[in-house]
Amino acid sequence: MMIRHRVLKILLLVWIILWLSFTGRELFIKGNLHDYQMLMTRSLEEKRSYVTGDSLYELLTLCNERTPADVTYSIIGIEEGSLDKRRAAYYLYPRLESNVRPDIIIVYNKPGVKKAGYTFLAGLDDSRYVLRIVK
Amino acid sequence: MTMQIFNLIISIVALTFIGFNILCLFPENSRKFFLWEAIAISFGLGIAALTIEMLLFYFLQFDFNVTGLLLAWLILLGVNILRISRGRELPVIETLPGPVKAYGMLDIFLIAGISFEIFHAFFRALVRPIEAYDAVAIYAIKSKIFYLANSIPQEYFAYLARLFPHPDYPLNIPLAETFLYMCMGNLNDQLVKIIFALFFCGILGMFYFTVRRFSDRTYALLFTFLLASVPQFNAYATNAYLEVPLAYYYFASVLFLLRWFEDSSDVASLVMSAFMVAMAGWTKNEGLLYCVINSLMVCLFVVSDRRNFSLKRLLYPIFYGSVIFIALFPWNLAKGIWHISNDEINLANINPANLIKQAGKLMPIFYELQKQLFGPKKWNILWPAFFLVLAIHHKKLFTRTQKYLTSSVVLAVGGYIIFYMISYVDVVFFASKTWSRFLIHFLPVVMLLMAMLLKEDRISSYSKRRQGEGGQ
Repeated sequence: MMIRHRVLKILLLVWIILWLSFTGRELFIKGNLHDYQMLMTRSLEEKRSYVTGDSLYELLTLCNERTPADVTYSIIGIEEGSLDKRRAAYYLYPRLESNVRPDIIIVYNKPGVKKAGYTFLAGLDDSRYVLRIVK
Repeated sequence: MTMQIFNLIISIVALTFIGFNILCLFPENSRKFFLWEAIAISFGLGIAALTIEMLLFYFLQFDFNVTGLLLAWLILLGVNILRISRGRELPVIETLPGPVKAYGMLDIFLIAGISFEIFHAFFRALVRPIEAYDAVAIYAIKSKIFYLANSIPQEYFAYLARLFPHPDYPLNIPLAETFLYMCMGNLNDQLVKIIFALFFCGILGMFYFTVRRFSDRTYALLFTFLLASVPQFNAYATNAYLEVPLAYYYFASVLFLLRWFEDSSDVASLVMSAFMVAMAGWTKNEGLLYCVINSLMVCLFVVSDRRNFSLKRLLYPIFYGSVIFIALFPWNLAKGIWHISNDEINLANINPANLIKQAGKLMPIFYELQKQLFGPKKWNILWPAFFLVLAIHHKKLFTRTQKYLTSSVVLAVGGYIIFYMISYVDVVFFASKTWSRFLIHFLPVVMLLMAMLLKEDRISSYSKRRQGEGGQ
């Protein structure tokens, strides 16, 4: 019984040592402390931009500002099924994705994309812009 | 922002109050809850009750509004006020068993550790908006759809849900998020994450008081600290995934089931267990596994308690299953009407021939499992310690209450292995992405089992010490 208790005490000690080291690692080594410092001073909108990546979030905000809520869209330049694609779908809703002649085409990190039947609507720079369908 | 925080707090209090009113329906002769235990249970219970009401609003084609949603619960409040005015006691007591003793150094350390983990969870949850993959792609998008439509839109199941991943995933938490957005008057996907940290606290609260019932304060604090400090558990209380809410409902259902095992005349506990495990199914599809496991535990109880065996007792499993069926009926009805099914798993594939055919998947499944069990980054030394405790106490694993917990854990692991085997998704990818999350679902039960097994060691060493002191 005594040996059993000693083993359990050692396990508890190991647990606590690992707990302290993982907590320290979480805060300092993985760079979370820097993230927290950056996030704490920002507004909700700025936080969304920070976690999504400013570059993509600016483009999504531009789409939301420059297009009506009921348009359909497709995106060029973001990998299908990626986290960025999911975030785009979330932030752009109620705009819905459509691959059949969408109302707008969002181009991300792809300079010079041209599509027949579409014209330039708005852009942030030569690789982030929005094309709209010509009616 | 200040107004939003105020409204958020009020809405959480309102949800908890709904749950508390449901708890007040327990018969007076049932075992009472400790105050904070009752609050911990009421929070999740209130959320579940309200989100089921929101789903019923869909069938009735009502729009959501905060007053309308809360109004229905005034009837329950009226009933409880009437009962209390007639001398009925509340189902809570405020004192804990055992003599009040001063806090020792270990107590203070453990309380500091638990407090740090709770603060850490709230901080990490609230410092950033919803951003993790499933949290955005599956759950937050649904709550945004409902919030902007101020309802579950009538075209939701037929059309909208199918435009986003996993239309068959249950709506408990997306609807809870919607309700909080409505209360805040804003789609604040940062503040809404408070519910995940609260589910985490809810589990810790229920866990502490459960252990406290059969042991002293230090022992209960120790295991609560161990649970709170499991890195994976804490991390998932902050990222808006639904593993912790599912663990909450399953754990609550187990605790109510244990209450019923102790006193099988306490049918209210049996009903509440069935309802809570159904709510695990209303939170995530994996919850349905726990509906099956708990139903099997009720069967095991009926069969193993031969002294009190009667034909009437054979009805308990049917009764338990019926409560689960009724609680999940609105959701299953919606899925049935709109032919929504899971695209990764087909339960029809659970047959011996197919399982033998898929046996090749067992290697990667166990390989990924052992990576979790022996990797300390996510679990500290929980699993090696658990196996050590099991080895030391192997004779007690299938005795008394422990046999239900042991069987539940074995069945949960077995259930997930079968899921992997019949899934259409590449097994290496699926297992590497999900084992670490699945283990969270029954983590509180594992910790409770450890506390129960080691408690007996403690009692015997204590009585030996007492004998020694007596001898001297």
